[in-house]
Amino acid sequence: MQTNLLSIATNAKSISMTDKINHPQLCQWLNSVAHTRDKQAFTHLFQFFAPKILRIARAKFPNEAQANEVVQDTMSNVWRKAHLFNQDKGAATTWVYTVMRNVTFDMLRKIQGNKEDNLSDDIWPVAENMSSEGETFDDHLENENLLSVIEALPQAQQDVVKGFYFREMSQEQLATHLRLPLGTVKSRLRLALGKLKVQLGEKHD
Amino acid sequence: MINHHPKFELIQAFVNGDLPASLSAGIAIHADMCAVCQQKIAQFTEQVAENSFEEEFLDRFIVDDNDALESIAAINFDHMIDDIVQSSDIDIAIPKTEKSIEFNGVKYMLPSVLNNMVLSKKANIGKLTRTRIQLNEDEIHTSLLHIKPGGGVPEHTHKGFELTVLLAGSFHDESGEYVKGDFIMLDGSDQHHPVSTNGCLCYTVANDALHFTQGINKLLNPIGSFIY
Repeated sequence: MQTNLLSIATNAKSISMTDKINHPQLCQWLNSVAHTRDKQAFTHLFQFFAPKILRIARAKFPNEAQANEVVQDTMSNVWRKAHLFNQDKGAATTWVYTVMRNVTFDMLRKIQGNKEDNLSDDIWPVAENMSSEGETFDDHLENENLLSVIEALPQAQQDVVKGFYFREMSQEQLATHLRLPLGTVKSRLRLALGKLKVQLGEKHD
Repeated sequence: MINHHPKFELIQAFVNGDLPASLSAGIAIHADMCAVCQQKIAQFTEQVAENSFEEEFLDRFIVDDNDALESIAAINFDHMIDDIVQSSDIDIAIPKTEKSIEFNGVKYMLPSVLNNMVLSKKANIGKLTRTRIQLNEDEIHTSLLHIKPGGGVPEHTHKGFELTVLLAGSFHDESGEYVKGDFIMLDGSDQHHPVSTNGCLCYTVANDALHFTQGINKLLNPIGSFIY
């Protein structure tokens, strides 16, 4: 981390973002967790975020066990939802903050009124546009070209292509998952592949 | 065009997660329709996140209980990590389902924020139809309120606050015309008489009964709590 004590102590608010937090590093760890379930990367993320989350949670929950629960729940969500993080949409800190705020909100609602409705993800969606895919499985990709070509497809076709190739879901599973008729999944996939062939043919000659 | 937006203080509280679910949902519904507020929320969230996660880094140089915190927590933290990474589950985001609700024979798409909230049965009074959204927030009442063309709510004030987010249609009161997406927050000092010429559907949050202020309508006061 590139900082020096003096500038932090005297001029904290005017330092630009990247000087204080190593954002590219956090992004990289989060992506490693998403792509390869990298436990080492997760440990780094944990060491960075957990003490801070604990501190923030202690301010909101007088009960120590509850504060610990916020850390536990937030970090498990980071582990389980890392593939929903999209670095094009914002910083890793922003995404983890959203996860933490949502856990906190649901817990407060639960404690205050015994309401276990977990509304937070509806109020503050953790994934953009419900598409959980994003760049999730790009370790399967040859290069970024393919991804950018796929992302240029209409959303409906993207969903099918990503589900089928990156998540390795069957067409039947996809139909259920996307709540579409099987025929629609098949035709979208066909359409999308046709377009991909044309696009990639152009780029790979 | 949307003309009425949440104040910045409300957006701040929203981002911090400090508002009740009813008001949070109101802001989320508005932001879904309002690119300006969406942008503000995104920027402020980024800023708050940045501050949240750098603060302790600063504290390390200023206060000294950080070591204590980490040493207490270190043991638990290792267990926690092991515990978490043991699971190979991932959460798949399920595509948002679209729900609709019918009032007066017209189907309206429900804002997705409300998808998992429990709606109670509709109740009618004159040209108003109301369905309560069961958020169980004590004195705060959240509803969908439908006004048929030509309907309105008699002139009233509020003992507390009254939030209206227009989901469809339009209405007007003494202060002007309101359109789809408008976020209208009133408090006890505001007195108004909303009328919808062409009908509308609103998301409403109020923390107390309406108080009707004029003539015969005062007789309605006992049902003030019915409407909002």
